[in-house]
Amino acid sequence: MSDTLLDTTTTGVPGTSRVTRANLGARLGPLIGMPLGIVLLLVIGTILSDRFFTAGNLVNVLINISILGVIVVGMAFVFITRGLADLSVPATVAVGAILTLSLQPAIGTAAAAGVGILAATGAGVVNGVLIGYARINPVITTLAVSTIVLGVAQWSVGGVIVYGSDPEAQAFLNSRVFGVPVIVIIFLIVALLGHLVLSRTSLGRWVYAAGSNPDATRASAVPLARTRATAFILTAGLSGLAGALLGITLQTARPAIGIGYEFDAITAVVVGGISLLGGSGSIPRALGGLLFVALLNNILVLQGVPTAVQGIAKGLLIVLAVSLDIYLRRKGGRS
Amino acid sequence: MSATALAPSGWTIAFLGLVRYRVVVILIATLAIAATFVPGFFDARTLSLGADRVATMGLIAIGLTVVLIAGQLDLSGGAILALSGIASVGLQGELGQIPAALVGLGVGLLAGCVNGVLVVVLKINSLVATLASMLLFRAICHLITDSRPVSGIDPFFGIPLTQPLLGTLSTRVFIFLALILLLHVWLTRMVSGRNLFAVGSNATSAAASGIRSNWYLFGAFMFSGFMAGLAGVTFGIASNTGSPVFGDTIVLTAIAAVVIGGTRLEGGVGSALGTLGGLLTLAALTTAMEYQSIPAYVQDIVTGAILLILILLDRLTHARRGTDVSLRALVQRFSPTRDAAQPKETERTPA
Repeated sequence: MSDTLLDTTTTGVPGTSRVTRANLGARLGPLIGMPLGIVLLLVIGTILSDRFFTAGNLVNVLINISILGVIVVGMAFVFITRGLADLSVPATVAVGAILTLSLQPAIGTAAAAGVGILAATGAGVVNGVLIGYARINPVITTLAVSTIVLGVAQWSVGGVIVYGSDPEAQAFLNSRVFGVPVIVIIFLIVALLGHLVLSRTSLGRWVYAAGSNPDATRASAVPLARTRATAFILTAGLSGLAGALLGITLQTARPAIGIGYEFDAITAVVVGGISLLGGSGSIPRALGGLLFVALLNNILVLQGVPTAVQGIAKGLLIVLAVSLDIYLRRKGGRS
Repeated sequence: MSATALAPSGWTIAFLGLVRYRVVVILIATLAIAATFVPGFFDARTLSLGADRVATMGLIAIGLTVVLIAGQLDLSGGAILALSGIASVGLQGELGQIPAALVGLGVGLLAGCVNGVLVVVLKINSLVATLASMLLFRAICHLITDSRPVSGIDPFFGIPLTQPLLGTLSTRVFIFLALILLLHVWLTRMVSGRNLFAVGSNATSAAASGIRSNWYLFGAFMFSGFMAGLAGVTFGIASNTGSPVFGDTIVLTAIAAVVIGGTRLEGGVGSALGTLGGLLTLAALTTAMEYQSIPAYVQDIVTGAILLILILLDRLTHARRGTDVSLRALVQRFSPTRDAAQPKETERTPA
């Protein structure tokens, strides 16, 4: 967390510490709010349904968020560099899925997945160069690149639905190591690596710097363009990985396979309290947001609530989370 | 950038001028290509089909033009279209057709107000705010219709909307054209229209110079919601159906059309006629490619590439803002060769 590194507790004037009681609450709020919310959901879920707090159900929730979670890790980088959002996720997911399944018979599943991820990363390089170096608005850039990339991916397979031919790979992803499905393990590894890069490396420092004050960052000789570009390349690569996982799990890949993942990833990051203004946030917070949304959905499903109401809940959740974040920032003295 | 320090060469000026009027250039190029490949492209029937295709998306694009000039984004247009369409078609039985249509328009206006409250009052970034409201409106659509399409009581009620008026163009195309011309007049000739550009360039400075920035932002979202509502009502009545899945990809295409028309996502720059050009370009392109039975995914590649090239060009000229590439300066510079096509005036704010 970047804000713990900055000493904002003193004003420079003796005897006027900025940590007042209200201020303290505002500063601690973002830290304990999300774990508290998740615990609260766990308690509510357990009270409402006896099927909720079972290993089976909770593992199901984890499996459900694993593929989306891989994308969320990348999207968190984009948000923190103040890159707004990557709307090309549906295309890169589709590229990963389509290439993995269509190349499977020729070169084997692992190599095919590798090619899929590389191709998606290539789309990310285009995004990164245009956004980081040419400084074009990320929304319109990722939108345009998304249209092109998805078109090329469909063209390469002739615009048809691709089916998988390697059930063993599917079985491998669903197999369990010490009771944890392999797909969840992959997600956890990606999340851990993402967290380490963001919190322990100089690239991670640059990502925060680029998001909090671009001008000062450029003045301090940090490669701002490269940092911004990296965030988008990372997101595209991870979306490609998510697409490969999705394709292998479903054993079928439509061009529209990735639609909705971009908004779901944005929702998770935003509910995790990461602002579009950039400069703050962390992988655990983004994944906390993801888990919160997933648990809420799970409770609604177990209660037999119609899908439409789940959409309303998700929309309200975004508004609530962002309003709370803005309110806390204002109270915390940061604009 | 000290681009003005060096006197730009004739080629540079020509290039900058080309980029400045890129909407016209690309529209003429597209029309020329379309006319080459589609026999009878300029026939009344082909043209009216193409224009009809534009009408619904065009209404959304009109609203988006205003929102984008104000420096904001509105992703919820498609969901508002579906919601107001359902209201205007589904309520026909209880209220009668005209009142139901009015309710549909009201729904659009109200939805725009919701966006306005989220962005202006709660200060949520418009990208996230309209993403949330998009999810909300879409969910409400599914909830009230049970995810099933609803149909109206009289299939003949919508006929006048799609029937050719004065020979070729249908009524809803005329509605669209009238509105976009009105928008052009408002943006270029009226003080409040010019103020919108100021708000989009820098809301805080605009507020400091006595413009009620927040009211303009709120108004922009209300207008956009109303336009999406109008699109939903006309589309719903014309097809005699309201469906919760209508318009699920329309906003992204509309944004593309508006940006092709030279409006910038950063705000403060844009024009109504540019949007019209962008829409017509997309329509001509789609018609020509469909006629050649080029697969939809190749059409996507072409559309995306055009969008990308145009925003890159825009970026290039942005760095050289000091150069005067107004129509008059261009004509003066190249006065011996006056055979250049006379481009339409494209509006741009003073930097």
